[in-house]
Amino acid sequence: MSSRRRFISGSLGTVALGGALPGFLREAASAQTLPAAATDPRNVLVVVQLAGGNDGLNTIVPYSDDAYHRVRPALRVAANSVLKIDDRVGFNPVLLGLNELYKSGQVAIVHGVGYPNPNRSHFEATQIWETASPDRPLSTGWLGRYLDKLDRNATGTTSFAGVTLGDTVPSALLAQHVDVPAIGALNNFQYNAGKDATSKAAAGTLYDGARAGQSPYLSLIENTARTALHGGDILRAKMAGYKTAVTYPGDGFAQQLQLAARIIGSDLGTRIVFVSLGSFDTHAAQRGQQDKLLGSLGNGLLAFYKDLAEHGNANRVLTMTFSEFGRRVSQNASAGTDHGTAAPLLVVGGGIKGGVYGEQPSLTDLDNGDLKFATDFRAVYATVLERWLGRDAAPIVGDGFARIAFV
Amino acid sequence: MQLDTSTDPQVGYRPPGQLEPDALERYRGNFGKRQAAHLARRAGFGATPAEIDALVGRGLDGSLDAYLHPTQPEGEFAAYPDAAVLYDPKKRYGAAKLWWLDRMLKTKRPLVEKMTLFWHGHFATSLAKVPPQLMVQQIDLFRAHALGNFRDLLLAVSQDPAMLIWLDNRFNVAAHPNENYAREIMELFALGLGNYSEADIKSAARAFTGWTLDKDARFVYKEQAHDAGLKTFLGRTGNFTGEDVVAIIVEQPIHQRFICRKLLEYFVYSDPEPALIDALASVYALSGYDVAKTVGTILRSNVFFSLRAYRALPKSPVEFAVGSLRYLGIAEIPADTPGWLARMGQDVLQPPSVKGWDGGPLWISTTTLLARFNFVNKLVTSPALALTPDALVAQAGGMNATNVLETIVAGALQDDVTGDVRGTLRDFLDSKNAEVPVPLGPENYQAKIRGALALVLNLPSNQLA
Repeated sequence: MSSRRRFISGSLGTVALGGALPGFLREAASAQTLPAAATDPRNVLVVVQLAGGNDGLNTIVPYSDDAYHRVRPALRVAANSVLKIDDRVGFNPVLLGLNELYKSGQVAIVHGVGYPNPNRSHFEATQIWETASPDRPLSTGWLGRYLDKLDRNATGTTSFAGVTLGDTVPSALLAQHVDVPAIGALNNFQYNAGKDATSKAAAGTLYDGARAGQSPYLSLIENTARTALHGGDILRAKMAGYKTAVTYPGDGFAQQLQLAARIIGSDLGTRIVFVSLGSFDTHAAQRGQQDKLLGSLGNGLLAFYKDLAEHGNANRVLTMTFSEFGRRVSQNASAGTDHGTAAPLLVVGGGIKGGVYGEQPSLTDLDNGDLKFATDFRAVYATVLERWLGRDAAPIVGDGFARIAFV
Repeated sequence: MQLDTSTDPQVGYRPPGQLEPDALERYRGNFGKRQAAHLARRAGFGATPAEIDALVGRGLDGSLDAYLHPTQPEGEFAAYPDAAVLYDPKKRYGAAKLWWLDRMLKTKRPLVEKMTLFWHGHFATSLAKVPPQLMVQQIDLFRAHALGNFRDLLLAVSQDPAMLIWLDNRFNVAAHPNENYAREIMELFALGLGNYSEADIKSAARAFTGWTLDKDARFVYKEQAHDAGLKTFLGRTGNFTGEDVVAIIVEQPIHQRFICRKLLEYFVYSDPEPALIDALASVYALSGYDVAKTVGTILRSNVFFSLRAYRALPKSPVEFAVGSLRYLGIAEIPADTPGWLARMGQDVLQPPSVKGWDGGPLWISTTTLLARFNFVNKLVTSPALALTPDALVAQAGGMNATNVLETIVAGALQDDVTGDVRGTLRDFLDSKNAEVPVPLGPENYQAKIRGALALVLNLPSNQLA
């Protein structure tokens, strides 16, 4: 994990970070710019990472294209089994749950999402998607930069504005001034000291006595520890009243979504939730592995949507997927696929305009065996930032990307 | 932290402020328990009270000798890869991490391992792209060169299979130069951003063409893929090879300051003064890039033992975790340690990027601190504890909260705690704030003393090295 950057108060800002202060002041100035569009300030973005490189062609299947069946004899999805979206593409049949949401207008499919000069390394491609920077490494993520621009003094802003439901903070959520809690297991997000209640009380006392100290880092440690010791309690107290009536599937991904719905529905001021599902790195025997994961995805998202809807939150939560790359068009010799390029991106929510957006890339006009991308992923980010979260997108992901009409 | 210097007034020879002209001169002040523990935290992974006593007995020179030029044989360590785990996708990453952490815990050459960790963070390579057996091989390389010559290390890293994969130099051929390694060797490994041009990157990339891997993932030079033409690099022109590029880089004064700044930030304090960097850079250059001489100069200097350096750096997660295990006398690395370290923000062998870990204040977040606390809270309940409640009661000379507490804070923190903290911890041991206050006694001392150990290790001052 990672480098977390945040503003460090007091003497440390100048002692330890040297020249960082002018940068912060610039950030603070830009943070005061008004939201770009009138959006519901309670809107939430849930980002689902499909880790490992999800095969787009077997997710949204171009079933009517002969080329598809020709290049994938061992792992194609038969035309008569797809859940048809239009006369060209359909859902992989394991995406039953997603199909149900699609029919009621709550799913948008953006075809052929990628970027120029695609990188085929998992690590580097993930960094590119998460930092929204294909050309040079950045130490903050696109969601982190969004969080940095929130007014931390506004009513309802809490330390749970951005949350990741995993053990470590993904690059997407690395921010300069915001510390994003990583809640892998709810049980880990608290001070665990067994049965002796006085242990936690003593820890609280030991950290509450913050004093000016010898080391410039001491007050940072004490302040952060106080938030850490109390944060889990706040989380639990706020979530205590939330009752889930929906039955979620038993897999880990669904459990994470269930926690996400609780957090979103519990007045914690949460704007961003990051969830990860993987591994989609299907170099061999792809069908079984990918179908299982896509099943988790579709069924999990359906349960999540119903849970949100039951609590009146479905219209203020937009869920989008991403994966570091799609896979090669042709199958390989092990009934799998190798690292490729562009892939469809899914957007789910009660507040969106469902449908199919962008052009499905050609399966015959290829770039060295790979799909040519049609929509830059930063256009999706810019759309979500501006039209869903109400923030000027240019300072976060750059200029020059068209907005997409799903919201 | 209000440092109590009353028992040991010479702990630091100067307050923070202007750099003294003799900052890098040999420290001739007192070498007591505090100084010995300070040395053990920075030059290693901390020390037990008995090890601190031994360091004090040897004195500064004898202690430094043992760190810099270890003569006693290193312990026996299991070889990796173990065939049983090498191809087990569920175990192979964790096994590689444990292989190394085990060595950090047990090593008799702590500075060698501490420098190996330094080089891992410096030449940050990751399991995210490199197979575990090659990562392990790279760590072995860092260990072999840990306190050796930096020029030799830089050359060896440039030909290291893990690095050739990590930064793509294996694909760097005359027809299609790949600039990835050429860029990072200058930006991150040896010169720093802004100290070279794009043209220098192109030239260096051409010089490294043909440095690749054979089918067994061993370094091989392929002459037919090498660009033997004239190159201009950092102001010089010649038919440069990769070896030439490495030699030219280390000769740059800006390189000497670059590497010395990083060593000072690792061993002394963040933001070292330019004059201090310059002084160390001349030691480094005169020594012919000798890491042992450079690090030795730091560790025996006035500035190293100054009050400004004392408990001035946030401990890295590895320092915190391995240090806690060593203090508690846990002999074998617990299998869940890599997972805890990942939650603390330092997933060894999987740094977040080629920049390594930023460290410093960025080690500290709500999530990472909770991971530190809960790691220790779990650790103290371990049956593998050598520092048992019974042992502490015996050392304290009786089951008395004050005595037990003083034994713990002396051993773990060299008494670097305030009176308020002592009061809170004593109340905890005597259950003062429980519904039914029960003084420390035969009924509860097992749980209470283990709880107090955790509270002490989780103290703010123990998050500082």
